[in-house]
Amino acid sequence: MLDFTALGAWFSDPENWAGRYGLWNLVAEHLTLTFMAIIVAAIVAVPLGVAIGHFGRGELFVMGLGSVSRAIPTMGLLFALVLVMGIEFRELSVVIALAAITFPPLIAGAYSGVTTIPPWIRDSATAQGMTAWQLVRHVELPLASASIIGGFRIAYIQVVSTVVLAPLVGLGGVGFGIIKGLALRDFPQVTASSIVIIVITVTGDRLIGLIQRFAGVRLGQPTLLETS
Amino acid sequence: MEWFIANWTFVAGLAATHLSVSVVPIVVGAVLAVVFARVTPTRWVNPARGVLGAIYAIPSLALFVTLPALIGTDFTGPTNVVIALTIYVIASMYFSAHDAFHQVPRPTVTNAESTGMSSRQIFFHVELPMAVPGLIAGLRVAAASTISIASIGAVVGVRNLGYLFIDGFQRKIPEEIITGVLAIFVIAITLDAGLWLVGRLMTRWRFVKVDHA
Repeated sequence: MLDFTALGAWFSDPENWAGRYGLWNLVAEHLTLTFMAIIVAAIVAVPLGVAIGHFGRGELFVMGLGSVSRAIPTMGLLFALVLVMGIEFRELSVVIALAAITFPPLIAGAYSGVTTIPPWIRDSATAQGMTAWQLVRHVELPLASASIIGGFRIAYIQVVSTVVLAPLVGLGGVGFGIIKGLALRDFPQVTASSIVIIVITVTGDRLIGLIQRFAGVRLGQPTLLETS
Repeated sequence: MEWFIANWTFVAGLAATHLSVSVVPIVVGAVLAVVFARVTPTRWVNPARGVLGAIYAIPSLALFVTLPALIGTDFTGPTNVVIALTIYVIASMYFSAHDAFHQVPRPTVTNAESTGMSSRQIFFHVELPMAVPGLIAGLRVAAASTISIASIGAVVGVRNLGYLFIDGFQRKIPEEIITGVLAIFVIAITLDAGLWLVGRLMTRWRFVKVDHA
């Protein structure tokens, strides 16, 4: 069972919180890598997903990307990119590898957000004389926002999980405690680090879920939806 | 490619381990997910969704090394990996299994009841076959991601295809890592296609053309 005394001792030791490989720094590093990767990917993936949904072209690409990406091990992608791009640029290559991992869920979220808008809503917007840009800006983006944020949610989970492996390619992040602890057979450190990782992941997931619930624009009369 | 030809027996051995640590979780997890989806009372469905969603979000390496502290297994070795992967399969398939049974048309079940079938007969001969398309769809997602996640087991000492990533990185052989990625990709895609085919063969009535008068 969980050895609470050893865990408590590990968490209450200030030594484990301070310095380059202290928890604070590792958590900061973990989240920085995660957010940089998501932002880099989102700049391309979200507009692309919205565009594919808007024009209705390239759906096969989105579907294919989804099933292909599930079969590719993120760990191998990360290791291969870091090795091929060189150890000197490992920060850059890790961010690029992570961005590649977040790309499919971000694009799928944006795409399905736009395509699931009932056609009569787009039609009535066009009938009012909205230009294509106004349609995207005032109709499609607000209605797709919940789904777009849903894409970010999946992307966050995947990247936070993959950053756990970053110490294996010479970077930090909370996974450092697991890798180092396993090597030194310092099991309280392993358990403590994985608890911190679980807290970061699940809290982030729930927070994005809350944002999704409150930021998403819902249609006023859901009864009308069923007639479409 | 040259690296693969020179080392193919080694890769084949790793692939065998890889399959053995992933197939057990896929099969056991799928069966448990179907059972859980069937026995959960309606008012527990939403809480179960929340809990399983949170479990599914836990990074695999963190789950691999938390299990020993929780259930007293060894920190390294395949046991934790198999248990953790089973948990992931249950967490991801629970939702699709629940939806698959939910989509079985109510009149069909009522018809079966009125012909005098027992609830056991209804489950095996009506509900389960009708739910196959949904179950297979969920299983395909779970199977592909299990094959891919299993590679992380290499970090805790399981000599599967993920070992090629760690070894290839340490020895600076990109071909070795790429071989691992491609091998896992091929296994996952083959399994996916196989499951799709099995699903089609199991539900042949869906593809029979009926001439309505």
